[in-house]
Amino acid sequence: MSEVILEVKHLSKSFGSHSVLKDIDFNVSPGDVTSIIGASGSGKSTLLRCINLLETPTSGEIRYHGSVITGPGVDAAKYRSHVGMVFQSFNLFNNMTVLENCMVGQVKVLKKTKAEAREKALYYLDRVGMTPYINARPRQISGGQKQRVAIARALAMDPEILLFDEPTSALDPEMVGEVLSVMQKLAEEGMTMLVVTHEMAFARDVSKRVVYMNDGVICEEGTPGEIFGDPKKQETRDFLSRFRKEGPAV
Amino acid sequence: MDKFLKLGSDMALLWENYGSAYISGMGSTLALALIATLIGCIIGLICGILNTIPYNEYTPRPKRFLLKLIRVIVRIYVEVFRGTPMVLQAVFIYYGLPYFSGNTMQFDNLWTAAILIVSINTGAYMAESVRGGIISIDPGQTEGAKAIGMTHVQTMTSVILPQALRNIMPQIGNNFIINVKDTSVMFIIGFTEFFAFHRYITGVNNMYFPSAAIEMIGYLSMTLIASVILRFMEKRMDGDDSYELASEDQLVMAAGTYTHPDKGSPFDEYNKEGGSLKKAPGKKKRFGRGGDRL
Repeated sequence: MSEVILEVKHLSKSFGSHSVLKDIDFNVSPGDVTSIIGASGSGKSTLLRCINLLETPTSGEIRYHGSVITGPGVDAAKYRSHVGMVFQSFNLFNNMTVLENCMVGQVKVLKKTKAEAREKALYYLDRVGMTPYINARPRQISGGQKQRVAIARALAMDPEILLFDEPTSALDPEMVGEVLSVMQKLAEEGMTMLVVTHEMAFARDVSKRVVYMNDGVICEEGTPGEIFGDPKKQETRDFLSRFRKEGPAV
Repeated sequence: MDKFLKLGSDMALLWENYGSAYISGMGSTLALALIATLIGCIIGLICGILNTIPYNEYTPRPKRFLLKLIRVIVRIYVEVFRGTPMVLQAVFIYYGLPYFSGNTMQFDNLWTAAILIVSINTGAYMAESVRGGIISIDPGQTEGAKAIGMTHVQTMTSVILPQALRNIMPQIGNNFIINVKDTSVMFIIGFTEFFAFHRYITGVNNMYFPSAAIEMIGYLSMTLIASVILRFMEKRMDGDDSYELASEDQLVMAAGTYTHPDKGSPFDEYNKEGGSLKKAPGKKKRFGRGGDRL
């Protein structure tokens, strides 16, 4: 078995007296495509934000290639440059064009030359089909296009693992497909991905592992076949049955 | 009516005798206001960056203490210099520095003193404006920058401040216009700007009202021109409303435009004769919204 990239151990997070994550244990290995599903408020996004240190865990630790990244004296910025993140609300830089969005991190953080950064940015923008729009500004393109640029921006940093925080939740239904198909391509190429999602079809068909979270704990995890085909826990069955009623997603 | 004619002739007389003095006064006023507003903006930006350095429970204790101390110092600076009249600050600093240093430190150049005082005063206002500008930027942008590994300073200088600066442009303009007018209090330390010449000139010839009229027109034209320039700069900062497609989709072809590399197209003969089917010059498509922004 290859080396584990991320180890989450006994992670807890509370906002005041409200405890959002309770004793989470969780590993990510190279090539894993993991979907985290669960009801709103179950702590999925908070877990992802803790992993990227956008939230400071209350207790527990996260190890990146064996070294602890939750604690004093950690260079959070350097760690984050290895862990890409795609947000629900895109978070593109509004003062830059599409191309500049994908270059700025490479130039400022990875200290590449502008020419190198441009080449790589163009490569990934091409991969997500955004080449024609490199001169556009974020306010001029659609939500789905913004999210594809956000994915290219994260990829341009050559991350070891890519975190997706509900990447399609803020999109109009007709734009969900273009983003999911980009993500599917990435998964097929062996990108390590951790995806918080409400797209059950994506969780079932693309990911290799599904984690069901309920009320701040990992309730059940397994292969998509296990979770969707034969869930062990009652909570998982209840959660999934809601989707079954609603439509053909599963 | 003849009163107006008299005013006109008096003003003309003043202008004839002292026109160059008025103009050099306006030059000093504009230069002082411009330099001090720019330095004030820089002070404001630095305060804005210092004020927003994040810390959490992992931050080492001494560093956390230092960051808190910085915020307190910035706060005191803002409150003191925003809360006292600039004319008083001028006296306080100009005479206070030699007083405390036993005359080892004093201003031997009035320009230095005036720029320092107006800059510090503007900086206090700008610090609050910048803070407002930073708050106005969606925190998601900060997270987006952090997520690709940018440090606080990189996030601020590349992402947040350029946008904050755009949002506070109206306030920067406000401060500049206020400075154009309020530098008139610098007469207290003997700085000769536009208004100072009014005092000198009327001291010689008692033509208070005609001189004041010239001053009014002078100040108003300075501030009006400044307003127009600022509006123009804001427009420039907004960038283009539309954008150019960088490349056409390679696979999309309009029907009938296919040309074989060797054989050409069936219409080549026709083209030679009439030339009416010439390819239109490559015109790039422009997309985007028209000027529907606020």
